[in-house]
Amino acid sequence: MKFIQVAITFAFASLLFGCTNLKEVQDFAGQSAQLSGYTELTTRFRDTYYREQPYISGDADRLAQENDLRRKAAYQDLLKIHQTISVYMQTLATLAGDKSFDLTPGIDSVASGIKAYPEFGIDKTQVDALSGLAKIAAKWATSSYQQRAVREFIKEGNEPLQTALIGMEKLIGYYQKTNDNEWKTINGLLELELSFTDQSEDKLLVTLARAHLQAKASEYQLADKKYREARKGIQTIAQGHGLLVENLDKLSRQEIKDSLRQFAKDIKAINDHINSM
Amino acid sequence: MALTTQAQIETVAAELNNCADIIHERLMKAVKRKEIERPAAQLIFQDEIILRQKANGLYINAANGVVTGLAETQKSLLETIVSAKQKLKKINDIATFIDLTADLIVLAAAISAAKPPAILAALKEIKKDCEAIKGAADS
Repeated sequence: MKFIQVAITFAFASLLFGCTNLKEVQDFAGQSAQLSGYTELTTRFRDTYYREQPYISGDADRLAQENDLRRKAAYQDLLKIHQTISVYMQTLATLAGDKSFDLTPGIDSVASGIKAYPEFGIDKTQVDALSGLAKIAAKWATSSYQQRAVREFIKEGNEPLQTALIGMEKLIGYYQKTNDNEWKTINGLLELELSFTDQSEDKLLVTLARAHLQAKASEYQLADKKYREARKGIQTIAQGHGLLVENLDKLSRQEIKDSLRQFAKDIKAINDHINSM
Repeated sequence: MALTTQAQIETVAAELNNCADIIHERLMKAVKRKEIERPAAQLIFQDEIILRQKANGLYINAANGVVTGLAETQKSLLETIVSAKQKLKKINDIATFIDLTADLIVLAAAISAAKPPAILAALKEIKKDCEAIKGAADS
């Protein structure tokens, strides 16, 4: 009797082992949902005029003000693209999570309900054994439901996700070019005016201008790094999801799990890097 | 020329930036060789900045184009998300039914043992389960 119980438990457990292997998918999606940089860079894009305003005047200033209004109007829509992708990744992480399709707490409460009433005539150890088997069976059933749900989700989501990611990358490209113009405006003005300023006469002015230029140069270099890192993050997410969709039937294979783990690690490193800047 | 596609917008913006860069390079060369006076140099620089602002305006057009182009994509992503949430809800509903079953067993046991306080406690739990299931069905 005991032997059969143990054997059945092992049989179910090995089935279970072959089924629920979505931890890497969950980790990858969880990291992707947290992609940092985009919101900050979109806000930097919106605030372009605030930073460039001291350096421009006349017709250029009027044009800059028009641009400012249009950037502010677009801001919310620009953020929404990232928000949708984040929610998508969060949902994938939840779908692939081991708690989401877990019926064991319910079964536990059935078992403890029975155990609380010895008058019912069922031996405690028997209840434990039965509920243990019920848990394995339930996990086995729900895990195939979960596998299917995750696969359908990835298959359905891949095309729009890839398109949205390409769009996001393009947007970061536009932010970067706008930022580049901003830097050239500031640098150009100071460069030009400094070459007409006599250092012996206006020593204080020249010194301050140079120090200001130095500070600004490092600010724009840092921003430039963030644009590059954020783009790298988006590309990594696109590659990772591409790997998922190409290997829907092989998600439990070791090499796929290894690559997914690597993608998740890369995204985390990019996030940490951006956050540390 | 009407700029319709994103690629066209990007190309023109890049050209404007290119021109601005070339103007700046020439301007600085002239300044260093002292071929130009300060007011004239400032006027040229102003033109350079206007070109950059025009390019920035085009980048906003391009960004808005991306947003508009992604409207359908966003919609289908949201649909995928909603259908996944429904699947998650289904599992939650099953979990609630298991709770109900558990409490019904407790009730049966309490009745067979004829213990009024236990019967009342079990009934209370069942009422809670039913409300949870009703709540899940309504949402």
